[in-house]
Amino acid sequence: MKYILLMSSTKTGVSGYHQWSQSDRDAHMQTLGGIAKELVDSGEFVATQGLTEPKEAKMVRGEKNGVPVTDGIFPESKEFLLGYWIVDVATPERAFAIAGRISAAPGPGGIPTNMPIEVRQFAERPAATN
Amino acid sequence: MKYILMMNGKKSDFEGYARWSKEDLQANVAFMRSFSKELKDSGVFVASEGLGWPNEAKLVRAGSKGEPITDGVFPESKEFLAGYWIVDVESPEQAYAIAARLSQAPGPEEKTENMPVEVRQVLSSHSDLGL
Repeated sequence: MKYILLMSSTKTGVSGYHQWSQSDRDAHMQTLGGIAKELVDSGEFVATQGLTEPKEAKMVRGEKNGVPVTDGIFPESKEFLLGYWIVDVATPERAFAIAGRISAAPGPGGIPTNMPIEVRQFAERPAATN
Repeated sequence: MKYILMMNGKKSDFEGYARWSKEDLQANVAFMRSFSKELKDSGVFVASEGLGWPNEAKLVRAGSKGEPITDGVFPESKEFLAGYWIVDVESPEQAYAIAARLSQAPGPEEKTENMPVEVRQVLSSHSDLGL
């Protein structure tokens, strides 16, 4: 069963991350790197991807003539995807356990960030995209 | 440059989609299929996935011993990712043009507004994660 683990935050949350010390950031990334390596070793790893900063995000709509209309203004409450992990696991509980590990990654002062991780299964039949 | 194009919707949007007529759904799926094929043929396609419905979504946090604590209650305003496309393009403008095409996917006749597509560049390397 393939699950995607989504890490999201508002712009305020992202600004908070910018204030972390370099050693706190290194410790955080080291933990996430360790989790990713474990997933590769256990054969559960499918993909992971980090996204660029929310300030570069655009919302695009197509006009009738097909011209893209871009907008870069979002409500303060908007949650931006920061990154994701895709895992292929035997049970939903295993996906939740991995998400728990990511949530427990250390933040400033080594205290777990406790960031909420959204866990979603892929559509059984991604008919719309195949 | 790799970009991710994301379609998001609130639970009410998903419920609306569930009420589309069979013809409308078929037209939408046919569009999505030919759209993906076009992206593949032009060499910009990297990946695409559709996600399960929001009623199956869980929010997970670590407990004090690192155990997962799951929660399935979300605010009404919560925007759920419905699906995404990752494309490898030459410029942001090319990504916006592809997103505009996606935004024009056919829906029910009474649909007045084209679907907004969130476009974000993805980080080029996973070096931070040691992969």
